[in-house]
Amino acid sequence: MRNLNSSYLFLAPALLTIILLTIFPLIYSLYLSFINYELGRPHLEIRFVGLDNFISAIKDVRFLQALIRTFIFIACVVTTEFVLGLVLALALNREFRGRSIVVTLLTIPFMIAPVAVGFLWWTILDANYGPLNHLVVDILRLSPKNVAWTADPNVAFFSIILVDIWQYTPFMTLILLAGLRSIPVEPYEAAIVDGATGFSLFRHITLPLLKPAILVAILIRVIDSFKIYDLVYLLTYGGPGTSTEVASFYIYLRGFKHFRISYAAALSYIILIISAILITLLINIVRRMGRR
Amino acid sequence: MRSRTNIIKEVLFYAFIAVVCLVFLFPFYWLIITSFKIELDIFHYPPVYFPMRLTDWNYRTGLIDLWGLKGITDSFIISSLNTLFVMALSLPAAYALALLPIRGRNSLLNYILSQRMLPPIAAAIPFFVLWNSIGWLDTYQALILTYSVFNLPFAIWLLTSYIQELPREVYESALVDGASRINILRHIIVPLIKPSIAIAALFTFIFSWNEFLFALLLTRSHVRPFTVIIPSLIGGHVILWGAIAAVTLVGLIPTVILVLMLQRHLIRGLTFGAIKG
Repeated sequence: MRNLNSSYLFLAPALLTIILLTIFPLIYSLYLSFINYELGRPHLEIRFVGLDNFISAIKDVRFLQALIRTFIFIACVVTTEFVLGLVLALALNREFRGRSIVVTLLTIPFMIAPVAVGFLWWTILDANYGPLNHLVVDILRLSPKNVAWTADPNVAFFSIILVDIWQYTPFMTLILLAGLRSIPVEPYEAAIVDGATGFSLFRHITLPLLKPAILVAILIRVIDSFKIYDLVYLLTYGGPGTSTEVASFYIYLRGFKHFRISYAAALSYIILIISAILITLLINIVRRMGRR
Repeated sequence: MRSRTNIIKEVLFYAFIAVVCLVFLFPFYWLIITSFKIELDIFHYPPVYFPMRLTDWNYRTGLIDLWGLKGITDSFIISSLNTLFVMALSLPAAYALALLPIRGRNSLLNYILSQRMLPPIAAAIPFFVLWNSIGWLDTYQALILTYSVFNLPFAIWLLTSYIQELPREVYESALVDGASRINILRHIIVPLIKPSIAIAALFTFIFSWNEFLFALLLTRSHVRPFTVIIPSLIGGHVILWGAIAAVTLVGLIPTVILVLMLQRHLIRGLTFGAIKG
C-alpha cells in the first residue's frame, strides 16, 4: 500500500496542474454560461438566465454557418492533403540523389508558427503586388484580371484552404512515408512471384499495410483542423462579410470583440461537446479499423 | 542499356520533385528577399524576384522601432520557462505511468491525451476570466501556466512511450538492489533517456514559441510575444512589408534550427508515439 501511494506522489504534481488548469476553468465557464455577464457593460445586473445563452446559440444562424463552414474546411483540407500527401510519399519512398534533403525541407512548413505562415502568404496573395497574381494572371493567363485572393467573398475561403494545404500536406507526406518505410519487402516479393504488378501491388499490399499510418494521419489532421483560427485571423479576419468565419473565430469575435463573455462561454461549451464527441468517435473508429 | 522510356520516366520524376521543392521553398525565398528589399522593389509590379538594391533598414526598423526584439525576447522567456516547468512535472509523471503500479493507468493516459486534443478556443474564455480576476492578464506567468495545459499532456505521453521502451529488468533489478524509487529515476532512468528528454523539451519549446491564440488574448502591452507583434503590424495604414518580414524571419530562425535538430524524431513526436518514423 505504501508503494502504491508513492507512485501517485510522482504523478501528482503534473496531474494536479492539469486538473486545476482544466477542471476549474470548465466549471467556472459553465457558471458563466448560465448568467448574463458582459465585459463591456459593468453596470448590468448579473442574474441567472438559465438556458437562455444556449437557446440563443442554437438559433444563431451565424454560429451555425460558422460550424458548417468549419466542417467543410476540414473535409476539403484533409481530403486534399491526404491525396497529395500519398502521391508525394510514394514518390519519396524510392531512393534518389537529394532525397534526404527534400525530406528535411518538407518538415519546415508544418513546424513553424501559423502566424508566420499567415503573414508569408498574405504578401504572396496580395492582389496588387503578390507573386501569385503574377503567376495566375501574367504567366499562366488563367484569369484576365487580378484576383482579390483575400478580399473577394467567393475566393477568400478557398485561399485559406490553399494555405492550409501548403502548410500541412508535408505533415501528411511524412507520416505516410514513415508508414511506407515500415512495410517489409517479403509480401511484395511473394506477390511478384504470383504475377502481381504495378497498381495491383499498390491496391492489395501497400494500401492495406499502410492503413494504420493512414488512420493516424487523418485522425490527427481532422482534430487539428477543427481548431483553425490563426490563419483566418491573419489572412481575412473572418471576412469579407462573414465568408471565412469559422467556429473558433466566431467565438473570439463574440467574446473578445463584442465582450459578450457569457454568450461566448456557452458557445465554447457547445464547441467543446462537439469536439469531445468527434474525438471519441474518431478514436474508436481508428481502434476498430486498426484491429481488423 | 537503359531504354528510352526509362530515361523519360527519370526526367519526369526529377521534374516532379523539382516542382514540389519550388512550391514549398518559394514562399521562404520570397520572405527572405522581402526582408532585404527597399520599398520601391517591394511595391513593384511585376514582383522583383532578384532584388539588386538591398538594405538593412527593414531589420533596424522591425526589430527596434516596431518592437520585434521585444517580441523575440518575450517569446524566449515564456517558451524556456514553460519548457522547464513542463519537463520538471512531466518526467516524474511519465516515470510513474510507465513503470510504477498505478490503478487505471490507461484511462489516466487517455484522459491526459484528451486534454491535448480539445480546441484551445474552448478554454480561452475561462482562462481570460480566471487570470483577469487575479490580475494576471498581461503577465509572463499567465501564459507559462496556460501553455502547460497543452504541453504537459504532450510531454507526459512522449516520455511515457520512451520509458516504456527501456527493458523492464533495468528497473526491476535496481529495485531488488534496494534502491528507492526516486533514486532509480535520478540515477538510472534519467541517464538512459537523456536524448528523449531533450526531444520532448525541444517540442515543448517549439509549441510555446509558435502559439498565437492565448498570446493574443492574455497579453496587452507589458508582455508581447513575437506571434502577437506580427499581426499587430498588419493593421495600420502604411504596412511595412519589409519590416514585418524581417521580424517574421528572425522569429522563424529558432524554430528552424530546433526542427533540424529534431529531424529523425519529428514524426514520432507529432503522432504521440503512434508512428515510430
